[in-house]
Amino acid sequence: MRMNETEKELIDMVLSGRTEAFEPLVTPHRDRLLALATRLTRNREEALEVAQEALLRAYRSLARFDVSRSFRNWLFQIAANEARDRYRRKSRELAAFSEVVDRAPSATAGSAAADPEAGHDRQELRAGIMRSLAALSPREREVFVLRDLEELDIRETSRVLGCSAISVRVNLSTARRKLRDAIRRDLPHLEEKR
Amino acid sequence: MTCRKVRKLIPLIAGDDLRPGLARAVRAHIDACPGCRAELEGFRAALAEVKSAAKAEGLPEWGEGEWNALMARVAAEAKGTGNVPTGAGARAFAPRWAAASVLGAAIGLAVLSVLFRGPSPRPETTPGDSGMVIASENPQQDRVSITMVSPESGLQVVWFLDKNFDYKGEQE
Repeated sequence: MRMNETEKELIDMVLSGRTEAFEPLVTPHRDRLLALATRLTRNREEALEVAQEALLRAYRSLARFDVSRSFRNWLFQIAANEARDRYRRKSRELAAFSEVVDRAPSATAGSAAADPEAGHDRQELRAGIMRSLAALSPREREVFVLRDLEELDIRETSRVLGCSAISVRVNLSTARRKLRDAIRRDLPHLEEKR
Repeated sequence: MTCRKVRKLIPLIAGDDLRPGLARAVRAHIDACPGCRAELEGFRAALAEVKSAAKAEGLPEWGEGEWNALMARVAAEAKGTGNVPTGAGARAFAPRWAAASVLGAAIGLAVLSVLFRGPSPRPETTPGDSGMVIASENPQQDRVSITMVSPESGLQVVWFLDKNFDYKGEQE
């Protein structure tokens, strides 16, 4: 995904001192940025902090942005780095894991109301998958979220994470296998239905 | 290609994430192997379930107050510094650092592989026992390769170095 002309113009405006151009520059990406941060941190408050810090960093370092790249992916890169830094600083994976387990059923309660049985299955599946996602290593989760949920390709993912394509493939392979194994182990009836 | 190797690669083939050459070889095997085909189909279905459930997860949205406060911080920062963004204090995303890291690691590994490749044969000495040592029995060797294999996925990468341990490329 290349940068469009409007983005280039807005960047030029910000760099020439018109700060008000920053908001229309980042607004189209704000929801996906927050979604990415949420999937990486597994914590709503922390995700908001990550997204806010990423946007502030983007503003501060806008002059160094390479206009041949995708602006959205550049924002993703900053957010992924910020999330990783926070993870390292706080080592909160266990706490995040518990929060996900506690939170998952209530988050899906609304969608379960229409068909309680099907809803229960979906709810169980989602909770199980969220637990499995939370149990991935930070790098595996980054790769899985960017490649499989944000649908970046391998090259884009490697650029966002600042690692090689082979590293992305190795971590992606491990992450997918862990998720598949978790479904087999924790939700065998869903496998049998297929 | 064996079933064992194909099954290691199934997580990647399930998402069409293999290099084209390798993907062709894997697909040729899968077309002819019902067991691996069933494994791939099962994997793809599980992956689709995971993606679907993860995407359906309720994600937070920006509150207008939060967003406005953030934009106000950006504006305040611009006023406070009186400058346009320069990148000061931010993380550098320079690909050259990544390349330098890879090169450093490659040189380190090459040096280690030379140091730890076991007892070396007694060095030849020049006539007259002058103290000069011929370091290699094969002075024509001017290229070193290091192969690394992931035990989990079976993927491998080969780094090529010249006789000065300068990085000359890689091949997956």
